[in-house]
Amino acid sequence: ERSTTQKAIIRVIPLKVEPIVLEGEFASVAEVTPAEGKLLQSHPLSLCNTSEDEHTESGFITIVKLEQPDRDPNPCLSLANKAKLAGERGARAILFDITDDESAADQLRKPRGLSQPVVLIRGHDAELLMGVVNKNREAHVKIEVKEQPAWPDYD
Amino acid sequence: VHPNVSQGCQGGCATCSDYNGCLSCKPRLFFVLERIGMKQIGVCLSSCPSGYYGTRYPDINKCAKCKADCDTCFTRNFCTKCKSGFYLHSGKCLEKCPDGLEANNHTMECTSIVH
Repeated sequence: ERSTTQKAIIRVIPLKVEPIVLEGEFASVAEVTPAEGKLLQSHPLSLCNTSEDEHTESGFITIVKLEQPDRDPNPCLSLANKAKLAGERGARAILFDITDDESAADQLRKPRGLSQPVVLIRGHDAELLMGVVNKNREAHVKIEVKEQPAWPDYD
Repeated sequence: VHPNVSQGCQGGCATCSDYNGCLSCKPRLFFVLERIGMKQIGVCLSSCPSGYYGTRYPDINKCAKCKADCDTCFTRNFCTKCKSGFYLHSGKCLEKCPDGLEANNHTMECTSIVH
């Protein structure tokens, strides 16, 4: 059965350090489209209507490390609305590290036509990306749509 | 212990994680988002930093920014000290004092005209 999720190639280009190439998957809540920009972390609670983010420049790509669901029992917004809010605040794309919250994939499956792509990343790829964040290294990110393997035609 | 949960939460966190810092605060403390370079972490403070005011919600106490023309405020709409170039009048920051009042460049407030 052909996988329905569209894979994403995530190129992370930190300053003065070797680039790394990771893989994620586009969430169908948003358009499947390439994007690039400066990497910026957002705390999960920053994507609430009652929160502000001093960062005013736009054109960045935000990474949100989702915590286990029981650690945020009543989230301020749904993940789809958090992604929408991030886009309204200038994010060109939203990366969600869902290693600790696999339910996020289901929450972001329903198409909402958000114009900024939403990419889910997990496991080792997410660990590498968060490693860049943890070292607080400025980095540029390019998100590309991974070519789907051409299915052989059986006549 | 979950690998991602910091061994010890900083300061006044009730719950925290290595990547996001504080996720919730101990009672009465204020949750503040702090941006350090490209990172953004949660911290818990006993009072809001200058330029912010505190709001208590049922599930969280948060610090939010004063208005752009205000340096320190009590609430979003009640400024206590304006940024330079503005005069304080009734909790508002004005570029020009209303008629009948004069701009006191020492206190940066609008005051009654002394005859």
